[in-house]
Amino acid sequence: MISTNAKTVFALLLLAASSLPASAQQTATVTISVKNHHFQPAQIQAPAKVPIELHVKNLDPTPMEFESVSLRVEKVVAGNSEGIIRLRPLEPGSYNFFDDFNQQTNGVLVVR
Amino acid sequence: MPNTRCARAIIFAAPFIVAAGFGARAQDNPAFYRDVETKYIFGFTEGSGIGLEGEREFSLETVARMGKRDGRYWASETKLEYEFTPNQYVQFELGPLVSTHVIKDVTDMDNRNQLAMSGFFGEVRYLILDRGPSSPLAITLSAEPEWHRIDETSGARVKNFGLELKINADLELVKNRLYLGGNLLYEPEATHDPDGIGAGWEKESTGGISGALSYRVLPSMFVGAEIWYLRHYDGAWFNTFTGDAVFLGPTAYFQLSRKVFMTAAWNVQIHGRDVDDPGSTLNLAEFSRQRGKLKLAVEF
Repeated sequence: MISTNAKTVFALLLLAASSLPASAQQTATVTISVKNHHFQPAQIQAPAKVPIELHVKNLDPTPMEFESVSLRVEKVVAGNSEGIIRLRPLEPGSYNFFDDFNQQTNGVLVVR
Repeated sequence: MPNTRCARAIIFAAPFIVAAGFGARAQDNPAFYRDVETKYIFGFTEGSGIGLEGEREFSLETVARMGKRDGRYWASETKLEYEFTPNQYVQFELGPLVSTHVIKDVTDMDNRNQLAMSGFFGEVRYLILDRGPSSPLAITLSAEPEWHRIDETSGARVKNFGLELKINADLELVKNRLYLGGNLLYEPEATHDPDGIGAGWEKESTGGISGALSYRVLPSMFVGAEIWYLRHYDGAWFNTFTGDAVFLGPTAYFQLSRKVFMTAAWNVQIHGRDVDDPGSTLNLAEFSRQRGKLKLAVEF
């Protein structure tokens, strides 16, 4: 016999599991490239209040470090490769980022 | 002489005036005054920053306490700290503690001249309110359990456990330039039989509140000032008040290179009360005359 409590826990687990695909669908994917030490495009956009998956394609042969204090992330992306950065849901506004290995390389994420 | 005073004032103020002018010209360039991690810009007061996801850091952080009512007193504790931020909300720190004590002819203390591995600490910080483009306030909760085998004040061998709980808040007053910080502190601790008389666990607690202002005079430099009000009690839950103290002093933060920074602070006790010494204007039983903090950190 399965107790009522066990059934309730099982039902809650099922409910939680069924909500995962819905959350995954809400993730916004944004792609940016780095070439000749410039972000392309230098300004990217993303929707507010949903998780964001930022794909950073480093098209240069040298590594770069994507860094942003306001986004609270840093990630080294090797030359000629791609890094994926998962961002928390953000409030509307502008968030600056840069390449810490080449600090003249700046960009901005505009969240609307 | 008024002219000499005037000349001194100009010499003292000149670097700040130049820095302010330099800063004003650079203000519109986002690469110049980037967003800043606020955790270490306020001296003893900790900002809300929790680092960047993926960032790791090693640092040496020394807090020294100087001066008692009489004799010669120096006590320091250095954290050999490893810090990491696994996600965008939580930060962890941990490491061993090393202490030094130079005590000579201080009432109620043994003379001592020692360097010792004095304990271990850990810290977890959780960001509960995020700063954003439209909200300048950020708040972090922190909990720091500590184990000591050397008493922080006297340098004697002890068995001591403490838990430092803090609310760390800061407000961005001017974008990337001027910040107001504040802490709320509660720190209970227990020491096993500190006087060697079979008294069991002796408990005490410290409460405190601070305020700090930090201004970015250069892209790589902050200067500021902070004030702390601390109260000490016997008992872990603010049971019996024993004394309080007010500390005031300057703070500074320097970004030495892309991944290296240094922070410094100096606090002087400007007022205090000691329940056991009602006539005193400073509390030198539970607190020191002065305290200093120096931290050198390398991120990787």
